[in-house]
Amino acid sequence: MNVGQFLAIFISSVFVSNVILSRFLGLCSFIAISKETRPALAMSSAVLFVITMSSAITWVIYRYLLIPFDLAYLRTISFILVIAAFVQLVEMVIRKFMPALYRVFGIYLPLITVNCAVLGVAVLNSDMFFSKGRPLPGSFQLSIFQGICVGIGYALAMLLMSAIRERLEYSRVPESVREFPLAFVTASLMSLSFMGFNGFKF
Amino acid sequence: MKLPAEFLKGIIRQNPIFVLALGLCPVLAVSTSVSNALGMGAAATFVLVGSNCIISLIKNVVPDKIRIPCFIVVIATFVTIAELVMRAYSPALNRALGIYVPLIVVNCMVLGRAEAFASRRPFLGSLADGLGMGAGFTLGLALISSIRELLGAGKLLGYTLFPGFKPALMMALPPGALLVIGMMLGFFNLLKGRKE
Amino acid sequence: MENKLIVAAAPHLHARESTARIMWSVSLSLLPAGAAGVYFFGYAALAVIIVSIAAALASEWVLQKLTRRQTTLSDGSAFLTGLLLAYNLPPGVPLWIPAIGAVFAIAVGKQVFGGLGQNIFNPALAARAFLMASWPAYMTSFRAPGFDAVTSATPLSALKEGHLQQVYSYLDLFMGNKAGCIGEVCVAGLLAGAVFLLLRGYITWHIPAAYLFTAGIMHYMFGHHGMFSGDWLFYLLSGGLVLGAFYMATDYVTSPLTAKGQLIYGAGCGLLTVVIRLWGGYPEGTCYAILMMNAAAPLIDRYSRRRIYGTGKAR
Repeated sequence: MNVGQFLAIFISSVFVSNVILSRFLGLCSFIAISKETRPALAMSSAVLFVITMSSAITWVIYRYLLIPFDLAYLRTISFILVIAAFVQLVEMVIRKFMPALYRVFGIYLPLITVNCAVLGVAVLNSDMFFSKGRPLPGSFQLSIFQGICVGIGYALAMLLMSAIRERLEYSRVPESVREFPLAFVTASLMSLSFMGFNGFKF
Repeated sequence: MKLPAEFLKGIIRQNPIFVLALGLCPVLAVSTSVSNALGMGAAATFVLVGSNCIISLIKNVVPDKIRIPCFIVVIATFVTIAELVMRAYSPALNRALGIYVPLIVVNCMVLGRAEAFASRRPFLGSLADGLGMGAGFTLGLALISSIRELLGAGKLLGYTLFPGFKPALMMALPPGALLVIGMMLGFFNLLKGRKE
Repeated sequence: MENKLIVAAAPHLHARESTARIMWSVSLSLLPAGAAGVYFFGYAALAVIIVSIAAALASEWVLQKLTRRQTTLSDGSAFLTGLLLAYNLPPGVPLWIPAIGAVFAIAVGKQVFGGLGQNIFNPALAARAFLMASWPAYMTSFRAPGFDAVTSATPLSALKEGHLQQVYSYLDLFMGNKAGCIGEVCVAGLLAGAVFLLLRGYITWHIPAAYLFTAGIMHYMFGHHGMFSGDWLFYLLSGGLVLGAFYMATDYVTSPLTAKGQLIYGAGCGLLTVVIRLWGGYPEGTCYAILMMNAAAPLIDRYSRRRIYGTGKAR
């Protein structure tokens, strides 16, 4: 475990393999909620929080439950249940104790359960940082760090896109590409520009 | 509604990809080649049909409040079956599709059909709906992947079509996927606009 | 431009400025650099320029006819896009490359967004990134100056691969006697045009100054022989930095509106350019840096816009 590894994960998760623009995870929420900056910011912070926490939780489940009992084939089903339960719990806690916060991003929480980015990162972590059923050194920290970076990458794409779409509201866009098609074309050009970080090394 | 109609609507009028814009993540990610796309289409159809059938059968047993978690468990079970079968019989395809197979669980299309259709319709109708949506999904995937494989690699199902053609590599990369889907959605909008 | 926005009561004087006038002036100011490119690389470079402009004009006309909009070829914007695209291509590319690139620039870079003034990304740069991703082999084979079409590495790509065989004098780099894209080699010509644009007030100093200053400082700090030893002048004169800073990053449509926003934008361009040049996989990062900052421009605008007087905290 060294700084280079962390930097590589950072650059890769935020730019080169950006969750949305390159791995296409969380694309539905990206297209649906990026119409304005404010909700986009709220959604991104909710996703950042949930991804980070679920990376940690699923690592523990995978390492101490699924591997010892030889249940790795239950990975998908157990991960999605744990994530759903966790999101439900967060929603209840926030609604009870932080009503102001709940009003800002509470409505996005149920959507996050079926956000592919969350499950995607959990699965990716268990693929990348485990080898033949054994955790690689520092895999817990790396998993959490990857969760944070993916969340940052999600927030970056989301924020840029929402500001762009706010501006496109005022454009005389051809009728047939209004909304979704244009959002995809814009995302394509963004993804093209992020390719500038290809082949990064320190 | 009659069964053939339930089946056919998924293919064109309510095509999950082009009309409903559902379940796009795997569409964009695995459409680099037609063979990958067909594999993904088959897996998604299997999950869709299986979960639609079971959910339609258990819809009266499941309490309303916890129906979503129950649906997810049913879907995840079928996804796990698909994953294990694929790993056993076609490891190359499994490697190519990677994390996008487990991610069928959170595909909005599957859960969307379960919630919007199978949970309130009879068994046979849900079966037809699952088959139709699956077929529409597979067809859409096949269409997008043939465009991308043709432009990005100059091939179709692995065969070179035009020897002198210099393929535009970008079409095989992520930006190409986003561009193709954006253009196709725009094209379908244009057709819809013409009709009205 | 900033200080010319004076709000006053009528009567007003009619200014002769118009979009078309500005576009044609920018094209004119690019002439010396292009002439130098043709001088160094021969008629192949001229052919690339002509094909690129012709394809841009043709696709603009066809698309505007198809979408039943007013055709606006005479405003010079499609001409300028074609010209800038050609300036960003290596001189020896097969001629279908500028043609396809120009069609992409106009169709996907501009008309999809609704035409002039509405695009988010600089069309010429979007097209260059598209060509780079699609046909990297053609886009990275450069030739040495002279009519013999000898392939050669650009100063930056030679440095990237770790063997700068030829020692370039600053004068060679400045005058354009080096391998590179058609329009980027002759820094002297680019600067002459830029002075003209600055004096006429068509561009302001904010973006180019912030861009070049940030890039220079970064290159000086992260030198090959330890901190604060970088040959910043070499880096500023190499690659597409000057072309990008004065002609691409300053595009009105795709850059922020306020002076503060423009400074942030320019600094961001400089930072990203150097990061890609020094640690990225590509030898030159100008194109990608400007595209990324294009994507960020609406966000910068949102957070740097002036609050309306008397409305309290900026929203």
